[in-house]
Amino acid sequence: MDLSLTESQQMLKATAAEFVKTEVPTHVVTELSRKNVGFVPELWRKAAGLGWAGMLTPPQYGGAGLGYTDTAVLFEELGRAPLVGPFFSSGVLAPLVILEAGTEEQKQSLLPPLARGERIATVAISDPAPSFGADSVLMTAARDGDAYVLNGTKLFVHDAAAADYLICAVRTEPEDPNDLTRGITLVVVETGAAGVSVRNLEGFMAAVGQVDLSGVRVPASAVLGTPGQGWPALQRAMQRALPVLCAYQVGGAQEVYEFTADYTKTRVVFGQPIGRFQRVQDHVVELVNNLDGARWTTYEALSKLDDHQPAAGNVHLAKAMASDGYYQACVNSLEVHAGVGTDRQHPLVPHVIMARTLYSYLGDPRYHKRLMADAVGL
Amino acid sequence: MNFDLNFATNPDLVAFQDEVHTWLEENAPRDVPRSADPILYTHEEFEWRRDIGRKLGAKGWLYPTFPSEYGGGGLDLDRATIIQLALDEHRIPVPPYYNSGGPLAAASILVWGTEEQKRFFVPPILRGETVTWQLLTEPQGGSDLATVTTRATKDGDDYVINGQKVFVGGAYEFDYAWTIVNTDPLGPRHQNVSWLMVPAKSEGMTRQSLDLFTVHGAGESPVGPKEAVFFDNVRVPAFNLVGGENNGWKVASTHLEYEHGGAGHLRNIWVLDEFFQYCKETKFRGKPISENPDVRDILADVWADYQVDKLLGMRTFWLHHTKRPMSYEGIQSTFYHRMFSLRTSQRIQQALGYFGLVSDPQWTPNEGRTEVFVRYGLGSLHGGGTHDTDRVIMSRRMGLGRNASESAGQMV
Repeated sequence: MDLSLTESQQMLKATAAEFVKTEVPTHVVTELSRKNVGFVPELWRKAAGLGWAGMLTPPQYGGAGLGYTDTAVLFEELGRAPLVGPFFSSGVLAPLVILEAGTEEQKQSLLPPLARGERIATVAISDPAPSFGADSVLMTAARDGDAYVLNGTKLFVHDAAAADYLICAVRTEPEDPNDLTRGITLVVVETGAAGVSVRNLEGFMAAVGQVDLSGVRVPASAVLGTPGQGWPALQRAMQRALPVLCAYQVGGAQEVYEFTADYTKTRVVFGQPIGRFQRVQDHVVELVNNLDGARWTTYEALSKLDDHQPAAGNVHLAKAMASDGYYQACVNSLEVHAGVGTDRQHPLVPHVIMARTLYSYLGDPRYHKRLMADAVGL
Repeated sequence: MNFDLNFATNPDLVAFQDEVHTWLEENAPRDVPRSADPILYTHEEFEWRRDIGRKLGAKGWLYPTFPSEYGGGGLDLDRATIIQLALDEHRIPVPPYYNSGGPLAAASILVWGTEEQKRFFVPPILRGETVTWQLLTEPQGGSDLATVTTRATKDGDDYVINGQKVFVGGAYEFDYAWTIVNTDPLGPRHQNVSWLMVPAKSEGMTRQSLDLFTVHGAGESPVGPKEAVFFDNVRVPAFNLVGGENNGWKVASTHLEYEHGGAGHLRNIWVLDEFFQYCKETKFRGKPISENPDVRDILADVWADYQVDKLLGMRTFWLHHTKRPMSYEGIQSTFYHRMFSLRTSQRIQQALGYFGLVSDPQWTPNEGRTEVFVRYGLGSLHGGGTHDTDRVIMSRRMGLGRNASESAGQMV
């Protein structure tokens, strides 16, 4: 057993922390959040210049070929800001989907520009649906000669407004009511193509958009890999990608913990620092339990992936605990801060919004706990 | 026992019920546009709400159980209930406009003021002629109200005020600020504060908007952005000091009993009724989402919690209006409401996913009111104290670890 970070991981952590501190100090983060800005091209270019858009991507496709834990170390620091941008969408999830689903030719053409950060991709799975899953894929792609024609709406697509193209989940076969995971196909759709419109959505959420497709024609060559095999490929990619997202949530919860613990020392009411009150201590104790539950389930999942061990149960556990942990950590912090914690200039608010956004992203805790129960044979 | 709010067996009450409904149909049209988000409401809506308030006040229906000789309705519990339910049906909160200090100042002045002060300050409030904000919280104080540092110094026939209040008020015009101040910085804690009715037009008072992600959302009247208010040598006649200099902590016991829910409520949270409706009417894959077993469990949790919230408010409403002894009941209903709202905020998102977060007009449920509740639930932990101070007060009222229980504040 060794639960420490390697030397190179510690160096990466320091570099990433320095980047966040310098490039996105708190007042910048709160300002981006207040204006609902989900993408800062200049920051993206700088980060891509450091190789952060292709951490997991193998070297033969232009990436750094690093491990899951390596990548997670970076994402934990990005989550501390929390820094918005397609770091996960285009830097982790999309490349892993391409690796899982794409042909060799597609990997060679699509992955290097993503790894360099020159192009940005996001994965658009759900149509308007109250929850995540294969049942949320409704859009059909009609075959027309050697092309597909797409009509419909992909909703709550993360980083849609930043993306050059979408990897869109569509149905190319009639639905099998007994198994909705069948017949889903992944199609590359350029956001600049005729009939595609993208907009960022307002709400208590960050960098989430809507994509409308109206008679969009894509060539059959835009299908990633084999038609009808999209959902299993997405599942495999998520099995590898989710723990990295969890690390971002852990970073967010860590930051919230630190400034909340600090506040209990400096805020004085009833004649003493509020941290001396047992009720306030209770909130911070809950907070740190939420943080550490998220952290260690995430680390274990990452470690299993790095060691090529079966990890499904751990991955679903981590996504459930990190989503719930980050969410609850923010609530615990609100319990400590009260009114000032609701001021959009306060560093807590971007975390509250990010925690809410990621809670529903790619399946909420209930969804993942159910898959966890299946995976571990409960 | 009878929990029934149906008055059909009493012809007088039926007639009164008809009168109230007819009056509301004529005077409070339902089709006036109302902002979903209480932070973003227009001056036009504010004026409309003020107008309804004035009309209700003129009839004594704004504060129906307050004594009629001071501008209240002087009505009994049944009639007050009828008015409350009818207003609720018209989705008109009481009061219809933001008036945080109004009923609290009126009650506090009726308990602690001189006869002259009662006659001067209270009737315009109860008749809906004036808007009054409460100004309690200060940046350094928060829940610790007794440490107010906004200073009022006697100078001839006036008090001169200097200091700052925060998380107060809302948008647009108000007439009075019902303000707790420090009148003896060297005096012992709880014996150095006083209450002043400060005319809003006083020279030296300035306002600054805050940018908070939530203010209200459970169907209360809209607020507009919360504000900070600054006092720079603001002069107020000594007549406006209520309850005696340095006697303000006693006055606060009345004020806080009301603020902490001591008058109870019969409120339906129609934002949640709409949420249930949305889940029943919105179909996914041909089936109402309320029939999805996961969603159904969540709706059941919200519903059960909501019934307790309503019953605790009703219990307190009955105790208060029948003048029965009270202990922890007011603060308990406030505490329960905070925690219930927090749980509901999460449950809405568990049921609806991102539809609980989106405010875009194309997608947001119930014109945005559901998303507003999601934010409100997170902010409901504070305001008029916090869930932590609620627990302290409840414990004292129950006498936990003490030989004597703390008693509830004196009410009208």
